[in-house]
Amino acid sequence: MAEGLIEFQHVWKKFRRGELHDSLRDMVPALASKLFGRKDREALEQREFWAVQDVSFSVRPGEALGIIGANGAGKSTILKLLTRILRPTRGRCGIRGRVGTLIEISAGFHQDLTGAENIFLQGAIMGMTRREITARFEDIVEFSELADFIDTPVKRYSSGMNARLGFAIAAHLNPDVLVVDEVLAVGDWRFQRKAFDRIGEMVNRGLPVIIVSHQLDRIASLCTHCLLLDRGRIVLRGAPDECIAHYVTTGMQPQSQQAEALPFLVSGVEIEPKGALHSGDWLTVKIHGEVPSSPGPDYHLGVRVRSLQNAQVVFTLDLTAQEPSLSEPGTFDVTVDLQLNTGKGYFCIETPIWNSRERRELSRGPQAVTSVAAAAFHGGTNLHPRVKVVTRPALATPELWSDSRRVGGAS
Amino acid sequence: MDTPSDSVSAVVGPSETLRQDAEAADAWLSVPDEERSIRRELREIFHDELWRYRGLAYELMRRDIRVRYKQTALGFAWAVLMPTFVVLAGVTVRYAMAYVGGRSLGIADLAGIAIKALPWSFFVGSMGFATTSLVGQANLVTKIYFPREVLPLAATMAQAFDASVGITALIIAFTLLGIRPGAAALWAPPIAISAFLLTAGLALLVSCANLFFRDVKYIVHVLLTFGIFFTPVFFEPQMFGVLGARVMMLNPLAPMMEGLRFSVVLDHNLLETVVVQSRHGAVLAWSPWYLAYSFVAALAAFVVGLLVFHRAESKFAEYV
Repeated sequence: MAEGLIEFQHVWKKFRRGELHDSLRDMVPALASKLFGRKDREALEQREFWAVQDVSFSVRPGEALGIIGANGAGKSTILKLLTRILRPTRGRCGIRGRVGTLIEISAGFHQDLTGAENIFLQGAIMGMTRREITARFEDIVEFSELADFIDTPVKRYSSGMNARLGFAIAAHLNPDVLVVDEVLAVGDWRFQRKAFDRIGEMVNRGLPVIIVSHQLDRIASLCTHCLLLDRGRIVLRGAPDECIAHYVTTGMQPQSQQAEALPFLVSGVEIEPKGALHSGDWLTVKIHGEVPSSPGPDYHLGVRVRSLQNAQVVFTLDLTAQEPSLSEPGTFDVTVDLQLNTGKGYFCIETPIWNSRERRELSRGPQAVTSVAAAAFHGGTNLHPRVKVVTRPALATPELWSDSRRVGGAS
Repeated sequence: MDTPSDSVSAVVGPSETLRQDAEAADAWLSVPDEERSIRRELREIFHDELWRYRGLAYELMRRDIRVRYKQTALGFAWAVLMPTFVVLAGVTVRYAMAYVGGRSLGIADLAGIAIKALPWSFFVGSMGFATTSLVGQANLVTKIYFPREVLPLAATMAQAFDASVGITALIIAFTLLGIRPGAAALWAPPIAISAFLLTAGLALLVSCANLFFRDVKYIVHVLLTFGIFFTPVFFEPQMFGVLGARVMMLNPLAPMMEGLRFSVVLDHNLLETVVVQSRHGAVLAWSPWYLAYSFVAALAAFVVGLLVFHRAESKFAEYV
């Protein structure tokens, strides 16, 4: 058997909104139009849309490709095209070798059958022979930790037990290519850990792997490459860190907040160093911006660090409370040094603007993303900041400034 | 704004590891329906799907059998009870016919009904389960890849298992009744195989049609309910006269049923013609051409069923 390979060559996939014709009565006119009006299959008819547009990639042994994107970006459609559940409208795609899919790992279970009977059934659905399943039966049962319930019908299982059994079967498939879709959310925390390690093991074995997930830190730690999708198109391909940063900073911007005039205009957020950090490393955040007019005491500009894993805020600093204060019109440069004594994961550095009297946030502001790779904790205060604010006030009398410029222009 | 959008254009486009492969035409690549040849489809069906996934068909058959008899008090006895009801119905009808005709009902008549009730209940059961085999397992069809042919085929195979239980019961009953089949009974296995192929082919067609149009299951239900009046289970085609017998034999199931009766019960070599004299003339009760016709029909149904099913298969996940 040739070694595994995943191919996706200029693939387009068309879908249709709304009801498809479902009874003979609706079919007759549809058939008639199909017979007499020889339509171009590449043209979009009414209510049709492209779910995947001109997507190309390939994954070779030793590579792990992560696919990220908002809901409806086409991630699951791509996996269905790859695993031959759907056929492309245009282009070619496929997987060479035996495919291990960690998608819907318990879809083949029959509720009336026992766990043991379902191992054989689901194993066969996933492409294992009876002999292979028999040989790995003990391992599967042990991995699932369901030895006491293996002769109980699956309908009496909890959803966690269901998922554990499903994952255990899939994990013993011994595939040439691995396709993973959001299954890491199975079972309790400990089993998730175990499942994750098992996937990591398969990745390290050098199989071509493709992973779709919303758990960005999982993508970052497993993948060598990444694709960012938006409405069926590839927006960005590159290293996982790069794609995740782009996805998070563009994708998490709240909409429709631009309507309100903001008291602070943050023009940029830069972080140093750019790559992954270790726990306890110092991160320098540079913020540039402008105060258009005196904001008043109720408006605040801050720096906030948010974990992307659970959206929890791990650090907040009010920049308007620092010296010199940002209460006067002009431009400013703020440098904040943070010691990232956090756990592993991705962190988004936000520059929120809020109104303390009305207790409401006006903007989350421009953002930057950093990641912490190793989780060994160092001494020191958690996220202890060193702040330096530099302001360059606008001239006290703007009229004078504009007058002088006018004069300068005339001469 | 300092979003990374400026840097995007630099990385978009095929990178070294993401470039296209030269072996584009390889068979493992999925291509649009329009670009597939019949040759490719036949290889897909017989090599990549049926042969490679024979183990899955077997597991699904086991599942269907197990599930059917789980939590039932009578268990496998149902496999015998179902055809027994058909036989009892047949005996009732034949008794009335014999009474009106002033004849008596012999053991051979009973045995003839019994041996024809088996393929009929196999056919009815298979079609019933196969019709909903795809729609009823939509979660599998939309989520995991495997050749979908195995679903209606497994439903048919599970019914074949029931039929084999029925055959065993029939052999016991025949022994008790003192019916000893002769050498002509060797015709039974090829007839059984052709009955399986015919049923499997129709099961494939019907299951896939029902996925697109739910009307199909109502049509099938009606046909199965009244089909017994158009199939010689309770009666024999020669009862319909010179022309009627031939018309009745157009039903591809009819020669199979009559063939079983002639060969097993009457120990008649099926290569020889049987002509029965009636008030209206000589009726062709049996001809080897009847059997040839039904064999060809069975094979055609199977191949056409597979091809149509395979053609439609790529749309299943979108339409189910």
